[in-house]
Amino acid sequence: MKQILNIAYYEVVHIFKDRILFLIVFVVPLLYASLIGMIYASSILQHVPLGIVDLDNSVKSRTLASAFENTNNFKVIPEINTYAGLERGMKNGTVRAGVVIPADYSQKLSQHRLTQILTVYDGSNLIYGFNTRRYFQQVLNTFSADHTAAYLGGLGMSKQEITNVIDTVSVNMQIWFNPTYSYSTFIFPGLVLLILHQIGLLGIGLTITREKERNSWIQYLCAAVPQWKIFIGKALPYLIVNFFNYSLLLWVADRFVNVKVEGSPALILLLGLLFNLIITSLGFVVSLYSPNSLQVVRYLMLLSIPLFFISGYNWPGIQMPTLIYGMSRLFPYTWMAEGFRWVTVKDLELNYLNTTIIMLAIIAVVTSFFASSFSKRRNPLTEKGVTVNSDSTYPSKDLLH
Amino acid sequence: MEPVIRVRQLVQKYGRQTLFNGLSFDVLPGESFGVFGFCGAGKTALLHILAGVDRFKSGQVEVLGLNITKSEKFKRDLGIVTQEKSLFRDMTTGENLDFIAALKKASQANVGQVIERYELKDFLAEPVTVLPMGVYQRLSLACAMLNRPKILIADEIIKDFDLYSRNLILRELRQFQAGGGTCVYGFSSIEFCEQMSQVGWLESGQMHIYKPKDARAEWDRQVKFYSEQSDGRHV
Amino acid sequence: MFKQCLVIMKREIFFMWRDQSLRNILIAGPLFGLFLFMGIYNHPRIDNISTAIVDLDRSSASRQVIAELKNTQDLKVITYPNSFEQLEELIKREQVIVGVVIPENYGKNIALHRHTKVAVLIDGANITYATNAASAVLTVTRTLGAEVGVKTLVARGIQPDQAKEAYQSIDFREEAWFNPTLNYAYFLVLPLVLNIWQQCCMLASCMNIIGENGVRSWLQIKASGISSFKLFFCKSIVHIFIYMLIVLPVYFLAFVFFKLPLNCGFIIFLLFTLVFTISLHSIGTLISSFSRNAVDASRFGMVIALPSFVISGFTWPIAAMPHWFQSLTWVLPQTWFFQGINYLVFKNQGWEFMVNYFLMLGMMSIICYSLAALFTHGFKAHFR
Repeated sequence: MKQILNIAYYEVVHIFKDRILFLIVFVVPLLYASLIGMIYASSILQHVPLGIVDLDNSVKSRTLASAFENTNNFKVIPEINTYAGLERGMKNGTVRAGVVIPADYSQKLSQHRLTQILTVYDGSNLIYGFNTRRYFQQVLNTFSADHTAAYLGGLGMSKQEITNVIDTVSVNMQIWFNPTYSYSTFIFPGLVLLILHQIGLLGIGLTITREKERNSWIQYLCAAVPQWKIFIGKALPYLIVNFFNYSLLLWVADRFVNVKVEGSPALILLLGLLFNLIITSLGFVVSLYSPNSLQVVRYLMLLSIPLFFISGYNWPGIQMPTLIYGMSRLFPYTWMAEGFRWVTVKDLELNYLNTTIIMLAIIAVVTSFFASSFSKRRNPLTEKGVTVNSDSTYPSKDLLH
Repeated sequence: MEPVIRVRQLVQKYGRQTLFNGLSFDVLPGESFGVFGFCGAGKTALLHILAGVDRFKSGQVEVLGLNITKSEKFKRDLGIVTQEKSLFRDMTTGENLDFIAALKKASQANVGQVIERYELKDFLAEPVTVLPMGVYQRLSLACAMLNRPKILIADEIIKDFDLYSRNLILRELRQFQAGGGTCVYGFSSIEFCEQMSQVGWLESGQMHIYKPKDARAEWDRQVKFYSEQSDGRHV
Repeated sequence: MFKQCLVIMKREIFFMWRDQSLRNILIAGPLFGLFLFMGIYNHPRIDNISTAIVDLDRSSASRQVIAELKNTQDLKVITYPNSFEQLEELIKREQVIVGVVIPENYGKNIALHRHTKVAVLIDGANITYATNAASAVLTVTRTLGAEVGVKTLVARGIQPDQAKEAYQSIDFREEAWFNPTLNYAYFLVLPLVLNIWQQCCMLASCMNIIGENGVRSWLQIKASGISSFKLFFCKSIVHIFIYMLIVLPVYFLAFVFFKLPLNCGFIIFLLFTLVFTISLHSIGTLISSFSRNAVDASRFGMVIALPSFVISGFTWPIAAMPHWFQSLTWVLPQTWFFQGINYLVFKNQGWEFMVNYFLMLGMMSIICYSLAALFTHGFKAHFR
C-alpha cells in the first residue's frame, strides 16, 4: 500500500510540476467543453434566413408570406425578392431557404385551378437542409389548414362546423426524449465523452514514455516492485482527476449548455467509473508500448474524429455496413456514448443497459489486465536503419543546454 | 561455493546483429567481477541483462540461484548504478531517495543511513539535474544501496569527477565487499582491472576470463601489437 | 546557391521519410479517412426509417392510414405491435424510431364525423433521424387530413369538386438545391477527410523549426553559416509540396472513384487547397518556433487543429453560434477553408467571390511566417 501511495504521490507532484501536463489534466477538458458548449449554446437552429419571392404580390400571396414571417424558425430577408436574387442569395449564403409564389397564384386560386408553391432549401449543409425541410412542412401544414378553413368559410360554413371538419383527424406528434430537437442535447454529451476519452488518454499516455525518455524507467524495472503496483500507483491520480472532470463537465453541460442530463445518478456514476477505468488503463498500456511521447501525441489525436464518427452516435449505426459497425463495437467509446445517451437523454433503467455495462466491464477488465501484467524486461534495440524520432528521444531545446 | 551469478550460453541479438554469441561465466560470492570491453562491446547490455532489465535471446542466467526469466525475487537483493543517468529528473535528491526507497521497500532507517554515509545531507533539497557529477554518482550509489543488496551492478561508476567523491565511493565499495557483497562492474579503462578479482573481457560476442594481471598483460600486448603495425611510432 | 537549396530539400524529404510515425500518418491518414468515411456513409440517405404501427382499430379506415404511411419512402413500416406498451418498449430499445397509434373506433368516429386523434411518437434522441421522420410524418399528415376532410365534406353534402378544392388547390413542391438527394456522404465525407488531412499536415508542420533547433545537429547548421531564412524556406517548400502530393490521390479517389460532387473547376479548387496548405503550414511553423520541444509543439498544434472543424461552422452553422464568437471563428484558416470548400464544391462560386478567401488565407500566412521568424531569431540570440 505504501508503495502504491508513494508512486501516486510522486505522480501528482510531477503533474503539478509539468505545466503542460497540468493544463492537459485540469484545464483542457473544461476549456474544450466550454468552447464546444458555446458553439452549440443556442441548441436549436432558428431564424433560418429565408428569401420570399412573391411574383404575385396580391393579398392572398401576402397571406402566404406572412405565414413564414410569423415563425421564429425563419427570418425573412427582405432584400431577396426576385428569383435571380434568390439564386444568388442561396449561392453566397445570404439565404438558406426560399419560397417562390408564382405570378398567377391568386388568379388561379380564384379560378379554382391548381396552383403550385415552390419551396427550396440549401442541401449543401444538411443541418440547415433537414431542419429547414421540417420547418417548411410545419408552416405549410398550418397554412393549408388555414387555407381550407378560409375556403370553407367562403362556402358559408360556420366556424364550429369548419373546426369539426378540419379536426376530424388530428395527428398528435410527440418527439420523445428531445422534444425541442435540441442540437446540444444531441451532440454535446458525445463530444464531452470524446474529450474525456482523448484528453484522458493523452494525460496518462505520457506517464511511462516520460520515464523511458529520461531513462528512469530502469529504476522501476530493476526494483522488485510488482507491475500491478506500478499501474495502480501511476493510474490513481489520473483516475481521480478524470472522474472529477467527468462530474465537472456533466455539471457544465447541465447548468450552462442546457443539455438534458437526466436519468439515474447511480447509473451515470457506474458508467463514469467503468469508462474512466478503461481510459486510464488503456492510456497506461499505450504508454507502456509506445517508444516516445511524440508518437503517443501524434497517433492519439488523429484517432478522435474516426472514433466519433464510427461510433454511430451521430450517424445511426444501422445505416453503416455491418463490418464497420461491428468494428466500432470494439471501441469503449461506442458503448459509453450510446449507454450515456440512453441514461441521460432517454432516462432508461438498468435493465436496458445490461449489455452496455457488461461490455464496458469486460473491456475494463481486459485493459486493466494488460496494464497490470506487462513484462518488466525491455526488448533489446532492433536495427532499424536510419530513423528519426522513433526511439526514446525527440527534438527538444532542453537537450542543447 | 555456489556462484551468485551463473551465466550459460547467453545469446543476445540486436536485429540481425549478434551481440553475444554464447557467453558463460560464474561470479562467486564476495567477488568483484569486472566486465571489460571497448565501446560497443556490450558491457552495458550484459549488465542490464544481469539486472533483469533487458530481455535476451537465449541461454540461462541465474542470479542468487533464481532463473531470472522466471523470477523477480532476485531484484530484492540487487542494486544498480547505470552508466547513463537514470535518477528521476523531476525530483530533488531527497525525493529520489525517498521514492526509490519506496520502490525497493527499503526502510526509512536505511535512507537516513545512506544520506550520512554518502554525505548527501547538504544536497537533499537540490534537484538532481543541477548536482555536480561526483555528488550525482554518490547519490546513484546511495540509491542502489538503499535495499542493502547482496549484489551491486555498477556500470562505469568511476568517471572523471572530483577526487573527494571518487575516494568516498571507492571507500564505500570496499566496505560493501568487506561485508560480503558481490560486485559486477562495467569499465572501459584498463587501470581499474587491478581492483577486480576477475576480469571478463568482452570482444566480438565472446568473453574471455582473465586474472587482473593477465588482463593487463593482454592489454599491453595489444597496444604493442597495434603500435608496431603503424610503423612502431608511439604517440 | 541553387545547389545548396536542392541539398536541403533532398535532406528534408529523407528526414520526413525516416520519421516513421510521421510517414505513416502522412501516407495513410487521409486515405484511411476517405475509405472509412465512405464506408460509414455507405447508405447516405436517411430513408426507410423503421416505423411501428399500433392499429387498435383494424378497420378499412385505419388500413388506409397504414397504406398512406407505407407510401412514403422515408418511413418503413416494419412491425405491428399490439399495444402501446409494446411500442414504447420498441422505441426505448431503438428497434423503431417512429411509432404510430391508431385509436380504437377510429373508423367509426370518422364515419360519424367525430373528432379522432392519431398519435405519432418519434424517438428524438438522434435528431438527424427525428428531423427527417418528423418531416415525413408532417407530409403524411397533410395528405391524410386532406383525404379524410374531402370525404367528410362530401358526406356533408358539399360538391366533390369543391371539397377537393378546399384541400388540394395548392400543391407544394420542395427542392433541395446543391444536394438534391440530401446525400449525407456528399455533405460530410470530403470535409471530414480534409479535416484529417489538415491534422496530419499540422503535425508535420509542427516539426519545422523545433525539428532543427531541438537536435544537436543544429550546431552543425549554425557552424556552417547558412542563413536560417534559406534553410527554412527550402524546408517549407518541401513540406507544402508533400502536403499537396498526399491530398491529390484523395481528391482523385473522391471525385473520380467515389464520384463525390465537385461543381467548380478543378484548378481553382487545387489553388484554394494550396493557399490553405500554406497558411496551415505557417501556423505549424509558428508553433514550432516557440515550442520548447517537439511534443509540446505537436500538442499545441492539435489543440488548434482538433476543434477547428467544429469551429469552422461546416456543420453547426456560424450564424447559430453566439454573436461575439462569430467573428472569432474567422481567426482560424480552417474556417475559411471549410467554408470555402462548401462554396466551391456545391455552389461553384467563381473567383469574384473566392478572392476574399484567397486574400485572407494569404495574409494569415504572411503574419504567421513573420512571427515565426521573429521567434526563431529571438531564440538564436538567446542561444548565443
